[in-house]
Formats: sequence, C-alpha cells, structure tokens
Amino acid sequence: MAERALFAKTRFQAKESRLAYLLLLPSVACILGFMVYPLISVGLMSIFRTNRLGWLQKFAGLENYYSVMGDKEFWQITGRSILWTTLAVLSKTIFGMVIALLLNVKYFGRKIARMLFIAPWASSVPISVLLWSWVYHPQFGLLNHTLKMTGITNNPPVWLGYPLSGFIAAIWVDIWIGIPFMALVFLAGMQAIPEDLYESADMDGVNAFQKFYYITLPSIRRILQISTLLSALWTFNDFNSIYILTAGGPVNMTDILITSIYKNAFVYARFDKAAVMAIITFIILTILSSIYARHYFREEN
Amino acid sequence: MRRIRFGKHLTVLLAMIVLMGLPSMSFAAGKTETAAGAASTATLFWAGYDGVTEDYRKGLQDAFNAVDPAYQIDIVPVPWDQMKDKLTTALAGGKPPDISIIGTRWLLEYEELGQLAEPGAYVGKATIDDIFAGAKEGVVKGKLMGLPVAAGARFMAINDRIGKGVPKTMEELREMAIAANDPPNQYGLFMVGQKNTELTEFAYYLYAAGGDFFEKKADGTFGKSTVNSAAGVKALSFMNQLANEDKVVQDGYLGMTRIQGHPMFYADKIGYVMIGAWVDSAMKQAGSTFPVTYAQIPPFAGQKSTPLIITDSIAFFSGAKNLKAAGKFVDFWYQSEWKGKFDELAGFPPITKKASTLPAFNTPMYKVMSEASVNAKGWPLIATWDQCQDQIWDAVSKVYLKLATPKEALDAAAAAIDKINNIK
Repeated sequence: MAERALFAKTRFQAKESRLAYLLLLPSVACILGFMVYPLISVGLMSIFRTNRLGWLQKFAGLENYYSVMGDKEFWQITGRSILWTTLAVLSKTIFGMVIALLLNVKYFGRKIARMLFIAPWASSVPISVLLWSWVYHPQFGLLNHTLKMTGITNNPPVWLGYPLSGFIAAIWVDIWIGIPFMALVFLAGMQAIPEDLYESADMDGVNAFQKFYYITLPSIRRILQISTLLSALWTFNDFNSIYILTAGGPVNMTDILITSIYKNAFVYARFDKAAVMAIITFIILTILSSIYARHYFREEN
Repeated sequence: MRRIRFGKHLTVLLAMIVLMGLPSMSFAAGKTETAAGAASTATLFWAGYDGVTEDYRKGLQDAFNAVDPAYQIDIVPVPWDQMKDKLTTALAGGKPPDISIIGTRWLLEYEELGQLAEPGAYVGKATIDDIFAGAKEGVVKGKLMGLPVAAGARFMAINDRIGKGVPKTMEELREMAIAANDPPNQYGLFMVGQKNTELTEFAYYLYAAGGDFFEKKADGTFGKSTVNSAAGVKALSFMNQLANEDKVVQDGYLGMTRIQGHPMFYADKIGYVMIGAWVDSAMKQAGSTFPVTYAQIPPFAGQKSTPLIITDSIAFFSGAKNLKAAGKFVDFWYQSEWKGKFDELAGFPPITKKASTLPAFNTPMYKVMSEASVNAKGWPLIATWDQCQDQIWDAVSKVYLKLATPKEALDAAAAAIDKINNIK
C-alpha cells in the first residue's frame, strides 16, 4: 500500500516535472536565442577577421586579442571604465543610503518626497541625458546660468569641453539616474527592520549614528551587497550617459569600454576588434559577479 | 482523471502557443496593413532632414500608394545619426531595405561589399535624364550607383547687424571678426569645438587653404594622407588663432556641437557663420529678425574659393526583393511636384531640372549656393572615412586643448590614417 502510494507520488512528480519542463521551454528558448547565440556569435567574431558588415572572413586565432591588448589606449579605456564604475557605484550607494534614511523617517509629505525621488529613475534614460546635455550647455545651460546669477563664478567651466570636466559631468548624470533605485531598495530593506530593535536601543541611550551602524547597516547588509553588484554591472555598461554627452571625446578621453565597443563596431565597422573588447568586458563582469556570488552564498550557508 | 489532467496540460500548452504567437501575428497584421492588397511593397529608409515634416513623408507615401495597388512603398523614417547603424544591421542580417537615403561617400563601402544594385536598371531614363549632370556624384567604378537626393554647397551667413562686411579672404574674415567681437554680448565668428558627426569645420579651412585630405593617384584612387601638408597646418593654426589667441569665437565653443551652437547665430549673437542651406528655414523658425547676407566661404589670400559640398544619394540594394516597386517610387517622387517640395523643405537647391524652375528657388541664398557649387569639393570617397575623420577631429581637439601644436597633431593624424588605410 505504502509502495503504491510512493509509486503514485513518483508518477505524479514525473508528470509535474514534464509540465515544469514544458513551461520552462519558452524561457530556455529565449535565453538560447537572445543570450547564448549572441555570445557565441561575438566569441566567433573575436577569433576571425570580419568584413565591414561583421561577417566572418578568415580565422585569426588570438591575433585580434594580441592586437587589442597591445594597444595602450585600450588599457586606458579599461582603467577609466573601472574608475567610472567605482566612483559612480560608491556615490550612488552613499547618496542612496542618505536618501533612504531620510525617506524612512516619519514626517508630513513623506509620500510625496518618495514619489519625487523616484522620478529620475522612472523617466527614459536617453531623454534624461539629453536634458542634462542642455543643462551643461556653455551658453544657454541652466547650470552655468545659475553659477553666474548667484555670483559663484563669472567664468563657469565648459563642462563637456574638457576631458576631466566632461568625465565628471557624465558620471554625475549616471549617479543622478541611479540614486533612486539604490534609495528605493535600501528603503525597502529598512522598512523590514523590526521597530522594537530601535525602541530597545532608545531605552539603552544609543545615539542615531550607533543605531545606524549597529542596527540598520547589519540588517540591510545583504540588500546592500546585491544592489551594489547590480549597480556595478549596469554602471559598467552605461552607454547613454557618456555617448550622448561627450561621445567619448574630447580626444577619446572620456571613452569607457562600452562606448568604445560601439564606436568600433558601428562607426568604424571594426567588428572583430569590438568583439574582442566585448568578450573582455564580459570576462571582467563575470569575474566580478562570481566573486560577489561566492561571497553572498557562503554567508547564506 | 488522466484525461482531465491531459486536458489541462493541453490547455496550458495551447495558451502558451497563442501567447507566444500573438506578437508575431500582430507584426504580420501590421505588415499586411502597410501592404494592403499590394503585389510588391518596397521599403525605403528615409533619413530625417531638418524641415522635412512627418506630414510630407506620410503624404508622399499615400500619394504613391494610391497610384497603382501593384506597387507600394513603405517609407520608414530613420534619424540621420542612426542611419549608418540601422543600415549596417539590416545588411549584416541579410534583410536590406530596397532603397535608402545615404551619405554619398557610403556608396564605395557598400559597393565593396557587393550590396548595391544599379539604379539605372529600375529607374526610368526620363527620371535620370532630368537630374543635373553635375549632381550625379554617386559614380563608383564608372557606374552611377547612387541617385542624388540632395546636394548643397556650404557658404557663409553674415549677420549684418554685427558683421563688418563681406570678407574676400580668410585674413579679411579674421580682421572683420576681431572688429565685430564684443563678448559676451556678441561674438565675431561661430566655431564648433565638440566632435560631431562630420568634420565640416576643418574642411572649410583646409579647402580654403588649397589643401586636401589625401593625395590623389592617376587612376582616381586615394593615396597617403595629406592633412599634415603645409595647407593643413596653416588651416589648423588659423582656426586655433581665431579660437584661442584672438578669442573671436563664442565662449564655450569647446562644449558645443553644430546643433547646440547654431542657435546662437539665430539668436543674433554671432557675426559670421559657415553653414548650409537649412539656415534660412531655421532662422524663420527661431523668429530671427536681423538682416542677413549670404556669401562664399572666402579662400586664404592667393588661393581660389573651394567650398565644401555635401551630397546625399539614394542607393538600391541588390539583396532586396522589391526593387521594381522601388524604381517606380523614385520615378514618381522625382517627376512630380513632391521632389521640389522636398528640396524646398530641406533647404537644398534642386537637383532636377523640373524642380529648378519653381519660384521657391529664386532667392539670394540659392543664388550663392549655385555659385558655390561651381568650384565646390565633396568628401573623399573612401571606405574608411569615418575612422579617418575621427583621427582629424582628435588632432583638432588636441590643438584646442593645447595638448599638441598643429604640426604635431596633424603629423600624428596623418600617420594614423595611413595605418588605417594600410599605406606605408
């Protein structure tokens, strides 16, 4: 009897499994079509010479890789991409945390404040960046106009005209767009912290910073880890901010890997070189994700 | 019980198929709508020109589609700065449009890849004969591979309220710009400092100095880069002098593309600007009221006037399926009032004899453009031009940023260009 029941359960499970596989099929097909196939295709491009349409012409082995890695500019761009990601993610995390703390405090108009803070994230990224390009405009821009009107300076910088100021201007736009996401995620984490922890802390005479350091921060640590990882992946591949504002200029000194890949592929029609750079970007991001994932799951265990 | 469970599975499966199929069905439905009752529907990638409205595009499409149900057109609007990407993707994917508006210099690239079809095989002789001979620039290996759609020489627009007359030479232009300059109220001359799609700014001065981008071989092909010639260095030194020594150009020029900077001219803040035919309609749209004079871009002393001419073409793609319909559409467009209207809206001088008789083109600006066309020179027809022009842009930027002298920057650019073109 027990054996029959077990057998019946197994058959049931087998049928359920079949249905599960069936339901998984569309997702698997999408992943194969939209992720695995392009990856293989780019991998092939990187070891072949390609024509100006990206069609494979002649096997080149690792020659394309040697050529890209022997180029000093490639390493400058890679270094700049890492700097770009580090600065942007760090800033988004700090600003996001501060804003989440402010939005977590109870006060009149908190709901409106939350809605306003989400606005940059909810709007279209290219349109936001285009608006910022007008904010930075040397003659008609809101920023320079404000700097002049308030008497801060009569000679404001040409934000997008120089490598350093262009880089700072672009990084600020990326931060501005990314802060709401971080703030929202942190806020969700903070709202899950039991109130009584803070009440006990109040009774023990703990100050605000200690409450943040000993209660809030450890409680949202896992959210912090996963959101910074996601943010790092998105920031590393943020094409819009740089390409729309400076197009990587002047003299390619604000280029990051993703903008350089685009230029090589679609402006210069050098698909083999672009493919090598894309594969290197993929490897960098995979390593970053793996380190994070190992750390994350080890802690979970 | 089993039947019920099987039925459930079947229902789920059918639901999934329907859900997955819906987008493709709606896509197909959309296609059917465009091609309603059509035997052959050609696709045209339609570049976005300033001034040419969506109403015009839709009107032209509807007008052609009403003529003969057997031949239809689907005019797909594409912004200019995305056209190359879209075409490359379409061609690489084996799904080219039947025809597309392209920059004439792209013809060589697509011809090398074996992607072009000769328009003469699909467009009527009467249409081709109606195009001015001088406008037929899209010739590759002796064959007309692109029909001109727009061609316009660049010229100078002078704000008569600020400017100090019409300069005969670049040296005179400098003196007049210095005299007109009164920052921040008004600036002598407009200059683009931020890299944008085309290298027009440097080309104006290079051609005015009698220079060129490449040496030209006897067989018509291009050789070594000559941007670092004496003329090239003179042109870039002069530009740098205007911008960084005389400071007669608008403040913040380094952070401005052409699109971002020209509104300063329309806003009555700049004396001299080297510009294209859109200036007239752009000024009207901006509500400019100052008097303006159009003149040739002056050469340097001792040189002859050689303005830059920009041409765009219509290319036919050999891998497409509806080339006959595409040819019929071009016949319709070029031989009707629609082409004249297009030229008028885009601000280009007419390239067909029929359109040139229209009164809209009898203005001082078109007169100056016609004169400029006589000695005008276009971009070099070279497949790697996008890479080459980026090298020159970088050289110009390096000089503006004081990272190199004009000679050093252009020497480096010429060496890089020769490397790109595998020339030793």
